[in-house]
Amino acid sequence: MATTTIAPATASTYRGGLYEWLTTTDHKKIGIMYIISSFIFFLIGGLLALGVRTELAQPGLQFVSNEGIYNQLFTMHATVMIFLFVIPMLAGFGNYVVPLMIGAPDMAFPRINALSLWLLPLGGILLLSSFLLGGGAQAGWTSYPPLSEDRPLGSTGYGQDLWIVSLILIGTSSILGSINFLVTIFKMRAPGMTLFRMPILVWTVLVTSVLVLMATPVITSALMMLFIDRNYGGHFFDPATGGSAVLYQNIFWFYSHPAVYVMILPAMGMISEILPVFSRKPLFGYKAFIFATAAIGALGFSVWAHHMFTTGAVFLPFFSLMTFLIAVPTGVKFFNWISTMWRGQLTFSTPMIFALGFLTMFLIGGINGAFSASVPVDFALHDTYWVVAHLHYVLFGGSVMGVFAGLYYWFPKMFGRMLDETLGKVQFIIMFIGLNLTFFPMHMVGLAGMPRRIADYANSGWTDLNLLATIGSFTIAVSMLPFIWNVFVSLRSGKIAGDNPWEANTLEWATSSPPPPYNFDHLPEIRSERPLFDLRHGKTGH
Amino acid sequence: MSSSPRKRSTSAVRAIALLVIVVAAFCAVFFYAGWWDAMFPVKAVTSQAHQVSELYTVIMAVATVVFLLVEGLIIWSILRYRRRPEDTELPPQIHGSNVLEVIWTVIPTAVVFVLFVMSLNTLNTVDAVSKTPDVQIRAVAGQFQWQFDYLTPDGKTKLFTESTPLAANGGGLVVPAGLNVQLSLTSPDVIHSFYVPRFLFKRDVNPGMVNRFEFTIDPTEAGQTYRGQCAELCGIGHWTMQFDVVVKLPSDFAAYVKERTAAALVTPAPRPSGSVALELKAKDIQYDKKDLSVAAGQAFAIHFTNSDPAGLAHDVDIRQSDGTTVLQDKPTTDGGKDVTYDYTALKAGTYTFICSVHPQNMSGTLTVK
Amino acid sequence: MTADSHALTTTGHGPAAGADHGPATAGHESRGGISNPILGMLLFITSEVMFFAGLFGAYFSTRAAHSPWPPDKFAGTLNPLGLILIATIILVISSVTCQLAVNAIRRGDRKAFMRNITVTFILGIVFLIMQMYDYSVLFGEGLTMDAGPFGTTYFTLTGFHGAHVFGGVIMLGVVLYRGTAGQFSARHHDAVEAASLYWHFVDVVWIILFSVLYLLP
Repeated sequence: MATTTIAPATASTYRGGLYEWLTTTDHKKIGIMYIISSFIFFLIGGLLALGVRTELAQPGLQFVSNEGIYNQLFTMHATVMIFLFVIPMLAGFGNYVVPLMIGAPDMAFPRINALSLWLLPLGGILLLSSFLLGGGAQAGWTSYPPLSEDRPLGSTGYGQDLWIVSLILIGTSSILGSINFLVTIFKMRAPGMTLFRMPILVWTVLVTSVLVLMATPVITSALMMLFIDRNYGGHFFDPATGGSAVLYQNIFWFYSHPAVYVMILPAMGMISEILPVFSRKPLFGYKAFIFATAAIGALGFSVWAHHMFTTGAVFLPFFSLMTFLIAVPTGVKFFNWISTMWRGQLTFSTPMIFALGFLTMFLIGGINGAFSASVPVDFALHDTYWVVAHLHYVLFGGSVMGVFAGLYYWFPKMFGRMLDETLGKVQFIIMFIGLNLTFFPMHMVGLAGMPRRIADYANSGWTDLNLLATIGSFTIAVSMLPFIWNVFVSLRSGKIAGDNPWEANTLEWATSSPPPPYNFDHLPEIRSERPLFDLRHGKTGH
Repeated sequence: MSSSPRKRSTSAVRAIALLVIVVAAFCAVFFYAGWWDAMFPVKAVTSQAHQVSELYTVIMAVATVVFLLVEGLIIWSILRYRRRPEDTELPPQIHGSNVLEVIWTVIPTAVVFVLFVMSLNTLNTVDAVSKTPDVQIRAVAGQFQWQFDYLTPDGKTKLFTESTPLAANGGGLVVPAGLNVQLSLTSPDVIHSFYVPRFLFKRDVNPGMVNRFEFTIDPTEAGQTYRGQCAELCGIGHWTMQFDVVVKLPSDFAAYVKERTAAALVTPAPRPSGSVALELKAKDIQYDKKDLSVAAGQAFAIHFTNSDPAGLAHDVDIRQSDGTTVLQDKPTTDGGKDVTYDYTALKAGTYTFICSVHPQNMSGTLTVK
Repeated sequence: MTADSHALTTTGHGPAAGADHGPATAGHESRGGISNPILGMLLFITSEVMFFAGLFGAYFSTRAAHSPWPPDKFAGTLNPLGLILIATIILVISSVTCQLAVNAIRRGDRKAFMRNITVTFILGIVFLIMQMYDYSVLFGEGLTMDAGPFGTTYFTLTGFHGAHVFGGVIMLGVVLYRGTAGQFSARHHDAVEAASLYWHFVDVVWIILFSVLYLLP
């Protein structure tokens, strides 16, 4: 299993061999393995993206031999990135941090937690094995039927079936994980840790878990029906046999839009932990932030059809209004983040740099999303590269930036050593340039009329912008090298972190780095959402 | 507050200066490179598209203001509130402000509501479908070719079918400038999407249902040709699914329809007797034969039957054995139809017969000896 | 866990609002009220409800798109007064016996608990056997998974329900096995409560299914 190869490197901080890692039910080790597994899939998904970008650098088919392989590349890229990287990566952070933040000794169901973890590499290997079994899924990560049905010129191979099975496995992992988070958060908080004293990250994990719990089973049902259609002669989604193609889209997006918030809310939570610490101020508008998070979660269930504006089969005004309204709680969060920094004393350690990168990039991803909320404008932009630009500003500029902010921030807690600041900043600069170089031109090429998911193009006006994006994608790839180097060097010889290297205020910094099994020898008093701040400053800070 | 007011003010000046320089440099590059223009849609050519374009401009204006405001506040905070060595005491620990929360909830709500109402107004004209359009055309999108059925004004009877989607090959979606054209969309297989960038519009072509929309091309656009293509992933020939919109003067359009309608009524001349035609059939996007053979130096014919559903077009082209160099190109035949293709004589050797719409699924070896 | 009752009540953040709640010194065990496994099971059932909501959504959407429903060919095939009525009654009774088992173990009556849980377990198996027999009858009448949208939706809905009954039977089997091994008491019987909740859920889904598939005109 790929996820275990890193274990020897961490054995110096965690006594105990490979076997112990494989059989552990400790949420910290499980969290770390979630993160390692997700990072490996991040690299795999990145390689698939490089394949896509290499092909698109110039007109003509140079890199892939036919369009079918190209379709596999982007289908698998999206599937791996969404289901095996972003969602589990954030779940991994949740796993590591949430029990520590609320003063719990572990998750509520440690063995189910381990099951959630191990379902992921199982699903991932099933998914990737399709490349060896006649080709991967090639109907896009959305896998709209009838294209994803077993029909001529559709998806006749095993790839699509493996895709369905692995997604069901990963979905099951998510559902079990969300139950675990919810029970942990509701039942395992330390004395004094009331709901409105929980760190914002815990709140975002809570809302995320509700979304996962309510939405993931729905896509499971859609996938089951697609599987029945493909293998048992079902008639759900293929109009040729009496089914409805748009039905699948409705069920699919009922999950997949909330899934967008599953992929961003915990990242927002991490930013909300990091910004106050490096501004030396409390988060501005703590409760407003919680309400905004809950509002995004609730609205998230009523906007799914904005992915279907061009189908001609949905009620446009309602979904348009709801989509516009999502901008409001997101805006509230932005103003709260900025007010947190306002009149603070900012220091620019790497986590803070990435958090600021999140703010600037996610802002673009939020604003260019508002264009598509307007139905007539969406008629022009839908399924063009504009949408690709939008979703990558959200998922890369938002989630990935947040993930790296979190990695630099909690690495000292996980391993007892600091990551190197210089390498971290080098990584940030290369990544920041690469990300804008890759994704900003996609706005323009989309406005110029380039649809997504095409293997080739003949429009000379698109060539330069595509080449720029390809150069950017390789820049992003390069930015991973200093990070990987940083991790390997810092694990052995990084600066010793101590319990609380950032002067942070939440409970996880009250225990040793790395924390002992069951986390706390004793807990400080919890009188606010910043127990360690209260400990350091008594009442003077207020 | 540890630093003196004077120090604060000099650092503030420096911060503002730096901010102005960074923003100015960025804007200069942005405008100089022509990127600002590239942030707007391509030139609109229909009355509907003009409205979408105007709406885009409004949203872009709002977006720009919001972006500059928020990004400016972020950069300002970074520059102005960085921690200085003399900052030993904590900054004021402000936990929030209900007044501010209300302000930045209410104002964005108002802004998005205005945008929503504007969008809805535009939508009502862009998406409107009239009962009596000037021209009715049905676009049939099959994997991986567009066909256009021209209908009588009541939309009930088909006059003729244009099965060549590209203008360069003598086909395309021919439409009149200045008239109201209603397009109905059908698919025999998977989901496609009708997309012409210059229309600033796309609409999915769903199997099992009919979508309709209307457009009126600007009268000044007669003589223009625009490229359109499928915008919904439809399989291994997705990107090849392109078509041209050819705009004619209304009078030229009327003449075109008349000519094509008449041509469609003419029954093809019977084939000269004695000429033998090979039989070839297509079903489920497969030829029924993998090998054909004919005599060298002699003209021949293939009687081709397309047994796939209507909308799924095939043809039988002759190519070099590399499978790409086209020797003899034939027009496509719609599903449910049959045709006899005549070919000129070939030299002895091995060739490929292939469907140009589905080259990856449908090909075989033609042996000439 | 005396501190828990007020720790659970939410208060404003910051000392101004919440500082008067003194931190308790108790350990880390679960808070009072509902136990972890039962809360976990309730959440799991929530996810199952959403799963069936997806299937029911597909069912009603398909049904609305086809007229007549059922198609003429299968007009009288699904007879609510046939074998399926007996199966339905059996499942409802099993829910009652399951609750009797829970009530028994709550007051510590292990004997009644074991008797009722055994009955429930057997009734569950009987339901499954009857459903399989019913399937074979329907197959004989030409109603199969690939017999158009009507067959597909029928077998998908009832099939997934059957799979859930099977899962429930396994849960009951585990409870039964652990009961035989002498486990469970008036104080410790979370597994019984959880299995029972799941069994009731499966029962409710069936009643909805029966109403929709057999009774809804």
